Amino acid sequence: MNNNRLSTVEQREAFFVALYKKAFPNVARYIARMGGNLEEAQDIFQDALVIYYEKVASAQAEIIVSEKAYLLGIAKRLWLQHYKAGLKNQPLNDFDIEVVPDEQLATNKLLHYLETAGKKCMELLKAYYYDHLPVGDVATLFGYSGTHSATVAKYKCLEKVRETVKQNSLNYADFIE
Amino acid sequence: MNNIKAIDDYLLGSMAPGDKLLFEANMLLNNDLVNDMEHQQNTYTVIRQYSRQKIKGEIVAVQKILATAPQHMGFMDRIVNLFKKY
Repeated sequence: MNNNRLSTVEQREAFFVALYKKAFPNVARYIARMGGNLEEAQDIFQDALVIYYEKVASAQAEIIVSEKAYLLGIAKRLWLQHYKAGLKNQPLNDFDIEVVPDEQLATNKLLHYLETAGKKCMELLKAYYYDHLPVGDVATLFGYSGTHSATVAKYKCLEKVRETVKQNSLNYADFIE
Repeated sequence: MNNIKAIDDYLLGSMAPGDKLLFEANMLLNNDLVNDMEHQQNTYTVIRQYSRQKIKGEIVAVQKILATAPQHMGFMDRIVNLFKKY
């Protein structure tokens, strides 16, 4: 999947606006029919968009024929999973198509620390590992002279964050809220 | 030299078969490597959590734009009306 069009915040904004217009009315109608309220519909749709974005950005992106039907499908699944079972307000990180070990590891405190102490690194790593942007785009976005410099920076950042994770690994209990 | 790149290649499945075999043999002999791999796996989890928060933040911002920007006037009102029928 060529996701160059989702490299910047502005491009993603246009992407999400279009998806809201296209798919949110159907999802809201479904949630309303199921007895949910507006706030619940908004929460469900936001989470559905995150999942959809991950699908589109993924290195193994499949072709999705109907965005509208796909988003409604995710929303229905989220609704059933989080609300029908009485598990209201369960965060999105509990939901995933793939099971990720130690998912709960990344707690808010650790994330907050990384966001303040290493924001540039986290943004760079996000561009590589989450947005799956081509290395040339990453170099341009982050002001590196070329793909080699960007790749070197990626490994340095990965090392830095891994060190932080390692340092905290003995104290994970402190991060559990 | 640290093992960041080798672990990255191994965990993301981009290591050549011969190197993979060697890497796995190394794991049997080297506890530090196993520990580093575990920390690196956890690091990917942290990156994903961070990224999800960021994307979610962008989505919430978009929803605010749809609710307030003049060019989208009426869109959220129509959504609100859906909930008045039930």
